[in-house]
Amino acid sequence: MSYVELKNICKKYKGNDKNSVTDFNLEIEEKEFIAFVGPSGCGKSTTLRMIAGFEDITSGDLLIGGSRMNETAPADRGISMVFQNYALYPHMTVEKNISYGLKNMKVPSAEIQRKVDWAVEILGLEEYRYRKPKNLSGGQRQRVALGRAIVKNQKLFLMDEPLSNLDTKLRVSMRNEISKLHRSLGSTTIYVTHDQVEAMTMADRIVIMKDGVVQQVGKPMELYEHPINKFVAGFIGSPQMNFYDVKVDGEGIVFSDGKKMKLPDAVKGKLQGYDHVVMGIRGEDIKLDSSNMEVYAECRQKAVIDNTEIMGNENNLYFQFGGITSVARVSKYEVSQVGDEIDFVFMPHKMHFFDAKTELAITADV
Amino acid sequence: MVTRKQKRNNWILTIVLLIASLFFLFPVIWMLANSFKPDAAITADMNSLRAFVPPILNGSFLENYITVLTNTNFIRYMCNTLFYAAVLIVLGVVVNGLAGYALAKIKFPFRERWLMIIMLLMIVPMETIITIHFLIVAKLGLLNTVLGYILPMIVNPFNIFLFRQVFVSLPDDVYEAAQLDRCGPLKYFFTMVLPMSKSVVATVSVFTFLNVWNDYLWPSLVFTSGDLLSAQIGLNAITSNDNTTTGQTLAVITMVTIPVIIIYSFFSKQIVEGVISTGSKEG
Ligand SMILES: Nc1ncnc2c1ncn2[C@@H]1O[C@H](COP(=O)(O)OP(=O)(O)O)[C@@H](O)[C@H]1O
Ligand SMILES: [Mg+2]
Repeated sequence: MSYVELKNICKKYKGNDKNSVTDFNLEIEEKEFIAFVGPSGCGKSTTLRMIAGFEDITSGDLLIGGSRMNETAPADRGISMVFQNYALYPHMTVEKNISYGLKNMKVPSAEIQRKVDWAVEILGLEEYRYRKPKNLSGGQRQRVALGRAIVKNQKLFLMDEPLSNLDTKLRVSMRNEISKLHRSLGSTTIYVTHDQVEAMTMADRIVIMKDGVVQQVGKPMELYEHPINKFVAGFIGSPQMNFYDVKVDGEGIVFSDGKKMKLPDAVKGKLQGYDHVVMGIRGEDIKLDSSNMEVYAECRQKAVIDNTEIMGNENNLYFQFGGITSVARVSKYEVSQVGDEIDFVFMPHKMHFFDAKTELAITADV
Repeated sequence: MVTRKQKRNNWILTIVLLIASLFFLFPVIWMLANSFKPDAAITADMNSLRAFVPPILNGSFLENYITVLTNTNFIRYMCNTLFYAAVLIVLGVVVNGLAGYALAKIKFPFRERWLMIIMLLMIVPMETIITIHFLIVAKLGLLNTVLGYILPMIVNPFNIFLFRQVFVSLPDDVYEAAQLDRCGPLKYFFTMVLPMSKSVVATVSVFTFLNVWNDYLWPSLVFTSGDLLSAQIGLNAITSNDNTTTGQTLAVITMVTIPVIIIYSFFSKQIVEGVISTGSKEG
């Protein structure tokens, strides 16, 4: 049986005329690391706060460890939480912040001491032990908040954008620390973020949301390879997937600027019965190298580069094609400059097709 | 960077302000200086600069003080007032603080209306309702009791408002974190909210102290017995006694004034903050 179950959870804030979360269904297994991801305002925090008990559940059932928790006080749900703005107790030292909950739980003081020592040690807070939060950097503060969460031995961790106040470099290293902590502690974790990279790199499974509605739930690579709709396809992955409005003809597809591309039969088969679709392709599936060019010769196209992003390990090339600014992601060995004319191919079996109206993915078996 | 010119201007400003403040301090200095003199010395010279100079501090310069303190109950009155102030500071912080907290953070029907009403109450002067207080306290049979004196002084709309303004900006997530740490609402208020808002607590305490210390009208109505009198009432009783000399009067007034001066010099920051009452910043 799953550890956390959300059944038809809805949330409507008083005074709002629309639901902030609509019919949220999810089962979370024990020890799983789940990420809620989506653009700002899509209801991630609301959902997390309903699980924590800080917001009432308008309708639906929340089960933790098999029991219904809708009306249970936050402290009795067996959860720890890490907040975006750390929420440390400003007048207490690091050590006091970490031990405060244990004291209130009447844990024996020798045990508290042992646990605090352990948390301070694994989080590298030894030298800051007697400092107050205002004398710590953002990363150190968030580590204290993590310490406060882990010493309580709760089975469920909730984190609401814990890294979004940190700078990029620190974010990457904290990401790893949190992943490591999760692996060694084995507590079920729900991690809210608006950053798809965080979700992709940390989570066992990702729940991707939009306007209060779950779009897709799956392993990171599932979402990446098989997005269920155009929104998921566009949200996951960087640079964003290229989307083209295309017409379907007998040979293949016709772009809005009139360019035609022949497609292999297997791919064409998917499009039977459609005359107008959205075709999506990721930057790395647009190929410039000669071997791919040979294999997919009939998809070959030309364009002029109008911008480049040099990342070092790989480069993004921007060019006008098919009515939009397209981006191809190429290795650092494929040097091109602004103004160069390039030949490229779209890898046909890597194309994603979406219904032009519903934006749902068109799969072969439909 | 402070330039040389700015530095010079600062000096000039300081000197001007020093002279101005000296001007305001003259009565206080006069009082202090003459409280050490026998009456004959006071009346001998009242209108030259010498009147502002204390006498040579020989063996008898504390005469007035010693006489007053031994012949009257003045120490007792001072202690009474300190006690009233202490009780009212504690009760005032707790009661007005809880009210301010509720108005800032707890959702309940007509919260904004309540706040409006309390803010409107701020413009009602104490003097207009003091007879009503008196009648109620009398009806309760609490005249000439400590309780009767203290009860109507606890609630203070201005302090409620002050607390509310500061508490509004406290982050909600700290309360949520505390909930998960099994810290109940009352414990949260006393162990988190108040320590996080030290400066408003200090402001309210200072105001309460000055209020109690300087109050004359209310204690003069409530207290009739000599044992419970506050310092101001005691001061009046002592100075209106025919046997009290001018020097002794000045000594008593000096003793009543000193705590106020100490408070002002130590807590001027809190007092200014309270008067401005922006309340939005909190370290
Ligand atoms: N306390 C609240 N009262 C009313 N509406 C709210 C409240 N909190 C959030 N909302 C609304 O609910 C929606 C989801 O918000 P939230 O869960 O915070 O989004 P996210 O965390 O995904 O950015 C938003 O449209 C937001 O305006
Ligand atoms: Mg949020």
